[in-house]
Amino acid sequence: MKTINAKTKDLKALNTALKESVNGAPVIVKNASKLHGIGAGLKHGEVIIESDAGDYVGVLNAGATIKVAKNAGKYVADNMTAGTVIIEGDADYGTGQYCYGGTVVVRGNAGDFTATMNKGAVIIVTGDVGNEAGTYMLKGDLIVVGNAGRNFANYLIRGTVYIGGQWQSIGQNTKIEPMTDEDKAKLRAYFETYQIKADPTVFKKIVAASEKPFYN
Amino acid sequence: MAVIGAFCISVNKELCVNANMPGKCATCAEVCPHGVYALDKFSGEMVVQNFNACVGCRICAEFCPANAIRINPAEPEYISRYPWTFSTVEEIHHKAQTGEYLMRGFGTHGQTPNFDMITVVPSQIASVAPLDKYREECDMQVVIGEDTCENPVVLKAPFVWPAMSFGALSKEAKMALAIGAAMTGIATNTGEGGLVPEEAWLARGYTSKEKTNKQWDPGGYLIIQWSTGRWGVSADYLNSGDAVEVKIGQGAKPGMGGHLLGAKVTEDVSRVRGVPVGSDALSPCRYYDVQTLDDMKHMVAFLRDVTNYQFPIFFKLGPSRPYADVAACIEAGADAISIDGMVGGTGCSPDIVTQGVGIPTIACIPPAVQALKDYGVHHKVKLIALGGIRNGLDAFKAMAMGADAAGFGSAAEIAMGCRVCYACQKGNCPYGITSQKPEMRARLDPIETGKRLANFIHACTEEVKILTMLSGHRATKELSSEDLRAMDVNTAALTGLKLCGYERALPFWEALQPATISGNGHK
Repeated sequence: MKTINAKTKDLKALNTALKESVNGAPVIVKNASKLHGIGAGLKHGEVIIESDAGDYVGVLNAGATIKVAKNAGKYVADNMTAGTVIIEGDADYGTGQYCYGGTVVVRGNAGDFTATMNKGAVIIVTGDVGNEAGTYMLKGDLIVVGNAGRNFANYLIRGTVYIGGQWQSIGQNTKIEPMTDEDKAKLRAYFETYQIKADPTVFKKIVAASEKPFYN
Repeated sequence: MAVIGAFCISVNKELCVNANMPGKCATCAEVCPHGVYALDKFSGEMVVQNFNACVGCRICAEFCPANAIRINPAEPEYISRYPWTFSTVEEIHHKAQTGEYLMRGFGTHGQTPNFDMITVVPSQIASVAPLDKYREECDMQVVIGEDTCENPVVLKAPFVWPAMSFGALSKEAKMALAIGAAMTGIATNTGEGGLVPEEAWLARGYTSKEKTNKQWDPGGYLIIQWSTGRWGVSADYLNSGDAVEVKIGQGAKPGMGGHLLGAKVTEDVSRVRGVPVGSDALSPCRYYDVQTLDDMKHMVAFLRDVTNYQFPIFFKLGPSRPYADVAACIEAGADAISIDGMVGGTGCSPDIVTQGVGIPTIACIPPAVQALKDYGVHHKVKLIALGGIRNGLDAFKAMAMGADAAGFGSAAEIAMGCRVCYACQKGNCPYGITSQKPEMRARLDPIETGKRLANFIHACTEEVKILTMLSGHRATKELSSEDLRAMDVNTAALTGLKLCGYERALPFWEALQPATISGNGHK
């Protein structure tokens, strides 16, 4: 298992080292809290960041598994297309935006605008999310085990939003549908895979009221 | 106030019920309160007995059962009816009936300050002599990213096709643009709608993905756009071109995002954009993953990283506050900055935004150039002027004002066959340019249309060459504002160019600028 100390490296040096190192066993990265864009565009391998991570960790991830042992900055897994990003602590503003695929798991809380314009990823937050989570989602799942802030799932276009707790206010173009057995089985599978303690039967399901909510 | 003789009345006799069956219909005469129409007692035919009495209320046209009557102003409406022109009146009726604002395609119409009141100053006896266009060389090459990336973009002529997305444009139109770029050595741009796979090899001059058969020389470049909607974007997408363009805004609708209505999201568009068929594809007005200038710097850093530091990074700006916006792009790490004036086109926008938002292209360039100069990067970070550039003359003027290259968006569509009907958003383009319907798309042959685009670029290149050499320059990069004069005070005030006759910039510009800015560019 290779360890890279990022303390004196810039983004180019760290990501070049990661690209060269992710072919075998997981690569451990230390002291990476001030670098933004760690693991950008990685296609495979496993990276474990033992410190906090800066902004844009796992941006454009195309198949790698990236784990952050502590907290992450803004825009976790931005525009990811495949792979897995797991944040053991909290994630800041804009987690899982613009994702086409893959899975994001935040074991703490996530900030505002989580999963905005999600186009196919599964984004799971075991704590609470801030305002506007799920805004303009087009596809994929947002699963919030805790509570949500204002304008939850605002202007949802397609995709599904699940929540175990309460929201402060629900967004435009949303409707609440009953949880089906398939929904419960799907959540149960995710919870087992990522070892999340939650009961699918208490979740609520939100879908789009219309798939064409714009133009006047 | 109605004016005597202000309207022409046309009655289509083939449709008119009375003309076909005299005496059977007199609706127009019955509803007209001004005595314009009368029924001939003997023949039973309807006649227009008093043109001058018509006030243009159009109640006759409204009630005509055969829709046979048209009323038109006898002279330009801007003389007889402005501001209550027929189109303004109809727009209000439309809003009153439907509650909807107007959407349309293409760009700003009507008079806005443009390049026409700028003239080119040729060389004569007091300056360096003009050069011989037929015998002597003129360097028009533009290199973008030469100090910042491994594979700079080297435009063979100082032009680009600006971003026009697949979705707004048909696949065939996108292919034609790529072929036109390959034939002339310029760059085409994916736009924000993702990559049409064929673009990636056609733009480089190849006829197939394998790149074994180079059909078109010298081969062009493909700029990959990164925008607020992020349609079809992945690490592979970013690496499929020769440059990445960060879209901030566009001339036709600055401050708004893009919006492809669900009706245009066909299976092909769905596949490329990665959204379900029939879904509205909204590009937000701003990046949700950028909140500060530092974020933008980090974004540029990871874009360079994901593309292995090979490609230049472009920015595209709408017409807002050119000095501050260009300064921010420079700070964020741009290699080239496109600034799109308000006349720039679009596939779909609210009419009021296209008509009334943003500033003209000629007013964008001077502050943008000033920012580049203040940062010491003029001609190093390249400036590309967009928005209503129609020919080599406009492009030359933009470059003499300080731009390094110019882009033809609307002009490219016209070169492909467009007749400018302002209805791109309807998806029924009869020339197959902005339609996704198979029967319309079949009318556009990508190779033949690519040749038309290449011809257009060849002609404009020659125009720029003529103007550059008659101004005494051997290269477009030698051009300066000294090669231009404003022909009216308004243009001189907007641009800082010297005013014809007065032979200097207007006093407030002279006070603002150091003497070097408008100095003689002859070397």
